[in-house]
Amino acid sequence: MTDALGTPIQGVTLYSFTRAFHAREYDLEGLIRKVAAEGYGPGLEIIGFSSFRGFPAVDDAYAGWFRDLVAETGLVTTSLAVNADIGIHRDRLLTQDELIEYMTLQIKAAAKLGFPIARVQISITPDSMEALAPIAEAHGVTLALEVHADQYASHPRILALRDRYEQVGSPFLGFTMDWGATVSGFAPSLLEAYRRRGASDELLAKVVDLWNTFYEQGPPADQAEHGQRFGAFIGLAAQNGRPDLGIDFGINGTGLFGPARVDDWLEIMPWIRHVHGKFFGIDETGEEPSVPVRDLIALLVEQGYSGAISSEYEGWHWNHWESPFEIIAGEQAVQRSAAQAAGSRMITDAAEARAILDAHLAQPVRG
Amino acid sequence: MIPDRIIEQGTLTTDGARSAVEVRLPWYRALPGSCIAGAKLSIDGVEAPAESLRWQMNGREFGFDELVDETGEWWFPTDSAVLVGDLPLEPGDAEHQVDVDLKLFIPYIIIGDGETLHIEEHDRKTMKAGQR
Repeated sequence: MTDALGTPIQGVTLYSFTRAFHAREYDLEGLIRKVAAEGYGPGLEIIGFSSFRGFPAVDDAYAGWFRDLVAETGLVTTSLAVNADIGIHRDRLLTQDELIEYMTLQIKAAAKLGFPIARVQISITPDSMEALAPIAEAHGVTLALEVHADQYASHPRILALRDRYEQVGSPFLGFTMDWGATVSGFAPSLLEAYRRRGASDELLAKVVDLWNTFYEQGPPADQAEHGQRFGAFIGLAAQNGRPDLGIDFGINGTGLFGPARVDDWLEIMPWIRHVHGKFFGIDETGEEPSVPVRDLIALLVEQGYSGAISSEYEGWHWNHWESPFEIIAGEQAVQRSAAQAAGSRMITDAAEARAILDAHLAQPVRG
Repeated sequence: MIPDRIIEQGTLTTDGARSAVEVRLPWYRALPGSCIAGAKLSIDGVEAPAESLRWQMNGREFGFDELVDETGEWWFPTDSAVLVGDLPLEPGDAEHQVDVDLKLFIPYIIIGDGETLHIEEHDRKTMKAGQR
């Protein structure tokens, strides 16, 4: 990292529009054209197994069609989100060799489709990341392992990866920062969704109190503590006559709303190669009420981060009553405003974004 | 998760002895057949015998025991599969309550010691039965 302020690149992941794509309101081409036309880019992130039929197999004609579409619409491919499906066989997990082969196919797909980053997930161990480094390098694809709740930057599993990255010394190994690890409140739009499912205000107040207690305590030290917290949400639902909501409270309360503090990201900041601007809604004042978007942008700018931020709207799981498109536009406005307040700006021009992303990814860690 | 879309409205069909409904993946990304761990189909509260159930996807038909090792065929998020089973029904204007339960493995989420996360989702819709 340098002393210069960062200029993050604005963008979006198509995951934000899951309900619209799933409902066949937009096909992939239609969605990409809408992203470009309405200014959610220039950064474009796509989940391989969500959007590309037959993934990770990508033939030349399809790759050509896709690259032409991205070029025509003036977008910049940032991250291809790939999956480590180590539980794909019913009776056993993938062996290390099988996993490397499984991931290699997806890394090749990223390169072929023009994505400079492949977002990988926590189920990949330090040994596997080390083994994948030369493959990533050979294809010019940076592997950015996502730090997602219930993990967080200073979690032992993440620090073990960071330490291995440092030993390996490859500029093609890094992290994706997911803002869901550093949430500051239980999302109000999810409370509204529970209200619409008949949950009482009294129960919801207890849910908020429980989450706030965990926030005060900070993130769970390990998986055992995570499990205890999950269980506490289930118990709360059962004690208040809504056992049917318990698992939902637990999944969201621990797996989406991570209670680490924003400065926890400093533990891995030099290795952050990509960002998921995870958020859940925009309130009547135009702000994100449960994700400290302004603080997160200020941190990235101050730390000299000039990679992409994919706005990742997760409220679609429960918010069936509002359009995701306006909500995402609202969150990106907050990002731009926060970058300006921090003395910098978000990059919204495609040519500038391409140049900045190239420089960001070529930069060796601690260079 | 998108459990409210599992059953495709208006797709119930019957030949009198076997009945079928189109189902959608309640998840954001494609899953292989090996992750489709089971389903139940009930019409008007009567459940189709498990051994009679078949799963049609990508132009092929599977029993659930055949899906266990199926990593070549994938259920894409915008595709409908067809769940069919032994359930006597008369086509016509009568409304029928259709219930579908789905059990899916999420292959990238490992919980605990080598155990893959599974989700169980349910949907209920009411519709007429067409001729199959």
